[in-house]
Amino acid sequence: MHRKLTLIVATILMAVFTVSMAFAMGGGNARKGKFLYRKNCRSCHGATASDLSPASKTQAEWTATFSDKSKIKCSGEWTVTDQELNDIFSYLHDYAKDSPSPAKCS
Amino acid sequence: MPDTRHTLSRRDFFKASGLFAAGAAGGAALLGGLRRAQAAPAPQWESKFSACDMCFNKCGLIARVEDGVVKKLDPNPKFLKSRGMLCARGNAGVAQVYDPDRLKYPLLRAGGRGEGKWKRIPWDEALDMAAQKMKEVREKYLPCGHLFSAGTDLHSQFVGRFAEVYGSFNVTSHESLCLVSNNRAFLDTYGEVPFADVLNSKYIVMAGANRFEALVTPDSMDLMTAMRENGCKLVVLDPRYTKTAALADEWHPVRPGTDMAFMLALAHVIITEKLYDPEWIEQKTYGIEQLAEHVKPYTPEFAADECGIPAGDIARIARELAAAAPASMIYPGRRSSDYEDSTQIRRAFAIVNALLGNWDRPGGLLAARAVGLKGVPFDAPWYDENHEDRIDAGKVPMMFEHEGSFLVTRDCVLAEDPYPIKGWLVYKTNPMGTAPNRKKTIEMMHKMDFVTVIDIAMSDTAWFADLVLPSQSYLEREDPCSGLQGSVACACVVKRDPVIAPLYESRSCFDIMKGLANRLELGEYFDFTIDEYRQKQTRDIPEALKVMDRDGVYYNPSKVYGIYDGKIYKTLSQKIELYNQRYEQMGLDPLPRYTAPTRPDKSRFRLIIGRNALVTQTSTANNPLLHQLVPTNTLWINPDSARSLGIADGDLVQVASGAGSQELRAEVTDRIRSDTVYMLSGFNTLSTMQHLSHGNGASINDILEDDYDAITGNASMHTTFVSVTRKVA
Repeated sequence: MHRKLTLIVATILMAVFTVSMAFAMGGGNARKGKFLYRKNCRSCHGATASDLSPASKTQAEWTATFSDKSKIKCSGEWTVTDQELNDIFSYLHDYAKDSPSPAKCS
Repeated sequence: MPDTRHTLSRRDFFKASGLFAAGAAGGAALLGGLRRAQAAPAPQWESKFSACDMCFNKCGLIARVEDGVVKKLDPNPKFLKSRGMLCARGNAGVAQVYDPDRLKYPLLRAGGRGEGKWKRIPWDEALDMAAQKMKEVREKYLPCGHLFSAGTDLHSQFVGRFAEVYGSFNVTSHESLCLVSNNRAFLDTYGEVPFADVLNSKYIVMAGANRFEALVTPDSMDLMTAMRENGCKLVVLDPRYTKTAALADEWHPVRPGTDMAFMLALAHVIITEKLYDPEWIEQKTYGIEQLAEHVKPYTPEFAADECGIPAGDIARIARELAAAAPASMIYPGRRSSDYEDSTQIRRAFAIVNALLGNWDRPGGLLAARAVGLKGVPFDAPWYDENHEDRIDAGKVPMMFEHEGSFLVTRDCVLAEDPYPIKGWLVYKTNPMGTAPNRKKTIEMMHKMDFVTVIDIAMSDTAWFADLVLPSQSYLEREDPCSGLQGSVACACVVKRDPVIAPLYESRSCFDIMKGLANRLELGEYFDFTIDEYRQKQTRDIPEALKVMDRDGVYYNPSKVYGIYDGKIYKTLSQKIELYNQRYEQMGLDPLPRYTAPTRPDKSRFRLIIGRNALVTQTSTANNPLLHQLVPTNTLWINPDSARSLGIADGDLVQVASGAGSQELRAEVTDRIRSDTVYMLSGFNTLSTMQHLSHGNGASINDILEDDYDAITGNASMHTTFVSVTRKVA
């Protein structure tokens, strides 16, 4: 019984660890992220919702925003994979307003 | 001045450039003239608004059109950015439109590359072929196997859009042969690239800029007004006695490549003598302690040895700048393609400005103002089968993604590293005529399977292409809206509508891109008209289009000063970064560290480039009207140097470097240092279809070596040493 519990705890811990690893944001494909952002996000964050773009926030703000995605209002509606989400984050972060190449509108 | 044969007098110059008229506006003599003019019969012409395209400034103009022919171009008096001026080049726009050397119909190469044998083909055949070749390149070499290069033009955004939907990340602009290192330096200090409030400044140090010849609106006119009406003092550092130097309060013939030492010495004096506003520096900047430590060794005496400017003058200039602060500045300049540390040189400029506390304040450096134009979004497709990044990625640490580096790209294409590029589409830029080391650009052409060039003239780049497509001039076409930053003068929007019907078989770049997109099953991304595009651009300023029809320009009465009140700076520290934190993280010098430039030995000279108000590089050297004013280029050489080489004024000389060799006439003049020589760009084109510039003078880019700035990949065009030899007849 004790052994079984240990195994369960260990499994849970591993799962949590794996999930948190998967959600360690950054280093994604920013170019693909641009495509995915346009495809998945801009329908709402484009002409309305204050025309959100990478240059709307600083890199630190993007990191903070994505560190707790549950606080992002629309996160419940997302259909992207973790990898795709990381690509989107990388796009937003790499072209943020304080980045070396701030995004221009397109 | 020993020789004025090749130069205009000061009065002629200002007449030609319009500055003289601007200065005299409102004078009694002019009013008298107007009265006489009113008695003359009214001309039978129609007047139509447009915006000039003879350089990048886009000055508002009124075209006078009679029977469908442009008779004259006048300045639009309501155009504040140019202070109602149209310069000599602007006036010569008529000669560009009606130049007999203009491209008239599509031409297909019929001989060897660059051999100059062409065959006229119909448009449909031309577009079918270009599209087919693009398809083949994409299949064989993936989307990034195609390069796109577009110059400064309102249609260039359609080339960028096309490249993106085609799937190539490889887009280069002209900017990496011009100003990216300056933009880099100011962006990395202030979080954005500033505009100078020249008009309200009381003290301006201008180094590496020649604003009375290399015209930038409104700075060129505002500088004259500031000096003549507001008592602004101008100090010029330049190895040449330019017209800007001639009109300045002080000219210092600085040793080329030592500007950073001068700037660090200014910082040294301002900090050690506590001439800055400590409260402002504390609130707005990051890294004053590190800077203070850093500039300790950079004394005026140190800089004096480097720059050849007396230490007393350097200290005095620092004190005078500080006394006039915050209405004083180190003028940020524009072209910074000079040295391999050109970003760090301009960082030093930016840092001294920060010490003067002039950001966002009258007479200082201003943030971009709200214009109101919006982008026109599109959803480009994604290609999984593609290369990961630009071909020039990672070669320098801080390239601008949307500009690239032409020189780095060229090296990568030649080496096929990390992958081959075999297709090239070029619109309204002429790297064969403007990029250093022309031989390498020729080699690059030979690497290509197919090159398409869209231009109004047979540029040297077009000369080496497979297919040449004639585009419309700026007076023949419909352009999207363009937002312009005019510093304290204005933030405005302009557009262009055809003032005459397109000549010959010319088409707009937009129509060409649309034609290619339709043939590549990408038509959905170009399924709009220019008019619809403008509607989208102006969706937040719906009155703008009507106002432009009425006045030729729309002004946004946006905030000029205090834009940053209560706002963060777009840097890591959220302050003005004297000390750049990102540079530190990346292993770059977080504060500009001076390295003395190599000095040429006695037998050689440093070749520098520069501008004349009548020349816009290769795009005007063949203009029939401007050609009368600047018929050729000459080699400026100091009388002492010329004497030691047995060279007399007007002698034919050979100028040779590690890259190439050219011949032209010597202009022996004391308007240049004895260790430096200079010539204008744009001459001795390879293309025989530019009959005034072909075989005329020397091509500077054949001689210039292709070094570049270590941070941005911006060309460094002041690092070439040349020998000069008299040619024996």
